[in-house]
Amino acid sequence: MTPNAKTKRFSTELRGTKWPVILILLGVIAIVPVCAAQSPDEKGVDSGNYNIRQSLEAGYRANWVNGNQDTYNTFVHLGEGVRLLDYSLEMRSLDHNGLFFDTLSFSNFGYGGDPVDVTRLRIQKNKIYDFRLQFRRDRNFWDWPLLANPLNPAASTVVNPIPLSPHTLDLVRRMQDYDLTILPLSKVRFRLGYSRNVDEGPSFTTLDGGTEPLLNQNYRVTTNQYHAGVDYRVLPRTTISYDQFLKYFKDDTFTFDAIPNTFPLLPPGFNQFQLANGTPVDLGIVWNTTATGGTPCGAPITNAATVPPTVKSNCNGFIDGTFNGAPLPGYSRFATPRNFMPTERLSFQSNYFQNLQVSGAFGYSSGDTKINDFQEIVDGWASRTVTRGSITSGPARAKRVSVNGDFSAIYNLTDKLRLVDFFRYDNWRIPGQWEELAQNLFATPPGPGQSGLTLPISTVTPATLAANCPTAPFNQAACPQHSSSSLADMEDQLFTRFLGQNLKSNTFQVEYDFNRRLNWRIGYQYTNRKIADFNASTDIAEMYLPGGATGNAGNFFLAARSDCAATAGVLPPECTLNPNGSITEIGPEAGNDTSRNITTINENALLLGVTARPIDKLRINGDMSVGYNDASFTRISPRQIQNYKLHVNYKPQPWASLDGSINIRENRDNVLTVDNLEHDRSYSFSTMLTPQSRLSVDFGYTYLDFFSTIDICYAGNTVAGVTTPCPIIDGASPLGATNRYQSTTHFAYGNVIWKPYKRVTAVVGYSGSFTRGTSIYFNQPQFVTAPPVPALARIVPDPSTPPGTLDFNYVKPTASLFIDIYKGLSYRVYWNYYGYNAKGPANPITFAPIGNPDFNGSTATFAFRYAF
Amino acid sequence: MPHFGIPRIFGLLGLLTLFLNSPLVCAQQTTPANKSAAVPSEYVGSETCKTCHEEVYKSWEKGPHWKQTLKEGGIAKHGCEDCHGAGSAHVADPADTSTLFLFGKASAKDINARCETCHASGPQQHKAINSLHRQADVSCVSCHSSHHSEGREFLLAEPQPQLCVTCHQAQKAQFEMPFHHRVNEGLINCTDCHNPHGTVRPHQLRTSAQQDAVCFKCHADKQGPFVFEHDPVKTEGCESCHVPHGGPNPHMLRLSTVNLLCFQCHTNSTFSAAPSAPSFHNQTTQFQACTLCHTNIHGSNFDPFFFK
Repeated sequence: MTPNAKTKRFSTELRGTKWPVILILLGVIAIVPVCAAQSPDEKGVDSGNYNIRQSLEAGYRANWVNGNQDTYNTFVHLGEGVRLLDYSLEMRSLDHNGLFFDTLSFSNFGYGGDPVDVTRLRIQKNKIYDFRLQFRRDRNFWDWPLLANPLNPAASTVVNPIPLSPHTLDLVRRMQDYDLTILPLSKVRFRLGYSRNVDEGPSFTTLDGGTEPLLNQNYRVTTNQYHAGVDYRVLPRTTISYDQFLKYFKDDTFTFDAIPNTFPLLPPGFNQFQLANGTPVDLGIVWNTTATGGTPCGAPITNAATVPPTVKSNCNGFIDGTFNGAPLPGYSRFATPRNFMPTERLSFQSNYFQNLQVSGAFGYSSGDTKINDFQEIVDGWASRTVTRGSITSGPARAKRVSVNGDFSAIYNLTDKLRLVDFFRYDNWRIPGQWEELAQNLFATPPGPGQSGLTLPISTVTPATLAANCPTAPFNQAACPQHSSSSLADMEDQLFTRFLGQNLKSNTFQVEYDFNRRLNWRIGYQYTNRKIADFNASTDIAEMYLPGGATGNAGNFFLAARSDCAATAGVLPPECTLNPNGSITEIGPEAGNDTSRNITTINENALLLGVTARPIDKLRINGDMSVGYNDASFTRISPRQIQNYKLHVNYKPQPWASLDGSINIRENRDNVLTVDNLEHDRSYSFSTMLTPQSRLSVDFGYTYLDFFSTIDICYAGNTVAGVTTPCPIIDGASPLGATNRYQSTTHFAYGNVIWKPYKRVTAVVGYSGSFTRGTSIYFNQPQFVTAPPVPALARIVPDPSTPPGTLDFNYVKPTASLFIDIYKGLSYRVYWNYYGYNAKGPANPITFAPIGNPDFNGSTATFAFRYAF
Repeated sequence: MPHFGIPRIFGLLGLLTLFLNSPLVCAQQTTPANKSAAVPSEYVGSETCKTCHEEVYKSWEKGPHWKQTLKEGGIAKHGCEDCHGAGSAHVADPADTSTLFLFGKASAKDINARCETCHASGPQQHKAINSLHRQADVSCVSCHSSHHSEGREFLLAEPQPQLCVTCHQAQKAQFEMPFHHRVNEGLINCTDCHNPHGTVRPHQLRTSAQQDAVCFKCHADKQGPFVFEHDPVKTEGCESCHVPHGGPNPHMLRLSTVNLLCFQCHTNSTFSAAPSAPSFHNQTTQFQACTLCHTNIHGSNFDPFFFK
């Protein structure tokens, strides 16, 4: 049973007891006695040579969730039950000379079922050692239904809504970090570290194929990192350090198609179909059987009355079967990438010379990914290529080599004037290679009633071709049957890739202190980046077997297809006809590019900054940078960059603080056919007021504004008679638009902490995010078909498409009550509300309904805290 | 919001400079601390300080700075006076604090220099030269408190993230968004990704041990190396597609729909190193969610189109 199902069952069992428990816990408030003042818990108790302070907070959380439980779990995921809300232990040696340690700090929270559990331990002894441990567990349930959702149309003759994200996750991540410093105060100190990160759990994914199936994925990745370092104070105020890291990464994820898929996260009967003979099939999650659709095929349902519905056998789909007597699953994929990354790093820092401070580092890292056991098995039907399945394997290797260094210096020319220089070098390269060994499976000639998924798979190989398929047209009973779109029967392809970047950057800055109240700085930054990539693909050997209904002498009975397609009866030079009628290809693939493509980018940036304190209570910081790049690697990498920051803090009274900030980033890549303009702006203010010891108020507001516009063109299937200009130079039949995307958020919060009585503290708070935005959408051609279609604006905002995350309110009011009962014992009640409300149509009439993501949830936590 | 032109900014800076250096302002400057007394001050020992400043002494003594009293090992040996200066003149005349270093009155530069006397070589402080906080005149005691940290690790004046969002308010709003790194939940601290003392990377970001993006410390499955790299992941960084703190969009993507994000680069354009989408990607049902097929979008070992 999955964790999520467990949570739901546990919740159901508790529901019957929830209300009595809550009433009892609420009743405690009414009967809590007003007792004598408790002792301050900060003092702790002295025991032996240690002062010991502990606090424990435990209680019960109840929750109520209405609406979309999956969205609630994605955003909040606080369930109900008994919880350890906090436990902390502090031990301090009274004479700083404890037996094994001088100070110990141990803190925990979240245990009992919360999605986040954390434990932290610090323990140290004077000059001997300093040890830190951190354990974190994160339950990551993730389901946002609009992500990767095909949004199957409601007009489809078979309406098949996908109510969850096809990439849903239900993972648990456990992270451990250990750090030990030995002799922390000595001239030579040693550092040891270990980290372990395990992320695992069930999830969904999808696959490109004749149709797109929903695949189950048992996800598990593990990272172990070891670290050893030494610091040597070679001179006064000068330290040299050496660090050695070893990182070992393992991916043990297994992906498969469960047919039928009864995974608990899915609605009962979701996407389940069968053939006429009762065999379960998976036809994928893309269902568009409108007049212009045809996915997974035209009119797939032959009998809607059966349970599950019966479908045609010649639909694109996946089926569990056998091959050569062995099970052939509909889909499975397994590989165990292993990555080993040693890294060495030498660094130094020195204030030895008067007025000069320097630091630098040099590092080398080489990572190696090896995969020796990749295997992918497919049993299905892809109508376009008449493929009945495939078996793919092959070794893969990739390496990352990195050489990097940096040097920084500050020189105080005078006590007011400083020169700062910072140089950075970063050179990494990633060569990689994969040898793909694939056997594509084709069907034998159909027998009575056989088609598509019910066709037997041919077991003929090149070695047995002559015996089983001796003569043209190669349609004997055992012969594999192809189409002109079919891939090779046997493939041995070598893919060689390279990506690298060489970066050098230098920043020079002058800083001047006019006086204690004003300083400013001006600087210049130059960066040179060279990006190189290389993309080669070679057929070590491809084998095309003959056979197929449309085979003839001109196409060598369909052996001449794909890379070996004949032109006027002549094979390409890399293809050779074999005596048994098959064709062998050896040579570079189409698109093979053995040249190294290099992109060079030079960036120049002017940096300015000022800090002013006109009066002691007022502080102003301003920063600005303006840069220009002479090239860009992607269309959204800016050629022009502007950043402006302003921050003001004013403390008119010791109990009052006002803060405001503006942060603006402007990017441009405004060359022809790109016209990219982006800005990311935020405007904030906040206030903290503590006019008296029993009252504290803080509130604030932030406005976030993200905007992006860019020319987008793609060559799509156009409607007959419609020609749309698109601002590009090359390409055919373009569809184009100038995309304008904007998302603005108003965020407001406020909190009041009030102590009406000495032993009572009340907290009321609120935070809310209100997001609105606009965008264009691309699923238009299937709807905007009738001319006249506006030129260049053929793709227009479609109000029937769900705005999704462009339009929502997310509010979170809170309230808490703390009552100090007696000597370190307090009773606490917390209430939290989470309300997500998507504005705009969640289920537009043109799409099969996928459910409303809205939810509102409350949690009420009742706890006792004891500090001793 | 109107853009500030460069000339306007210089003009404002100039006016501000003139104003602050005017006799009116200069005359209001307080007497700087550390003015030498007629007689040099001598060390008196922390126990002497305790006689008048008992509460402050107790809070300091509970923290790691008590090690300043150690006579062997370490750099500092004079307890309170390592930070505040020799105290004999102040003991002789308690009203006279001119010989002391007072953190509440000193400049950020002087405060930082004092702390760096011991802490400059610390592994977290190695790159203090590059510190954006230093440039912005934020001193060590803006975040750390030797006397009022209430036992927090690293003597932080407030716990994270409350401490950081005091100034970085936009990030507070971002962490409250539906899709966010779990900083408010206590799973992650700001310092897991940023080193507030300074690093060689923009925004004071840390790096992985391999000097790669800090994101890969937790998201190791995206690090690779892969045979088929999605180039901008490595050349432009994760921020080319994702917002780092929190946002309205799933997986903290910059845009609300994936295909719109992809098309920004994979467009049929002469100024694009990225291949354009093929002609049959007509944005009908099968093609309007790019990652429905291109699932391993951060990099793949088995498919040049990131299908697996």
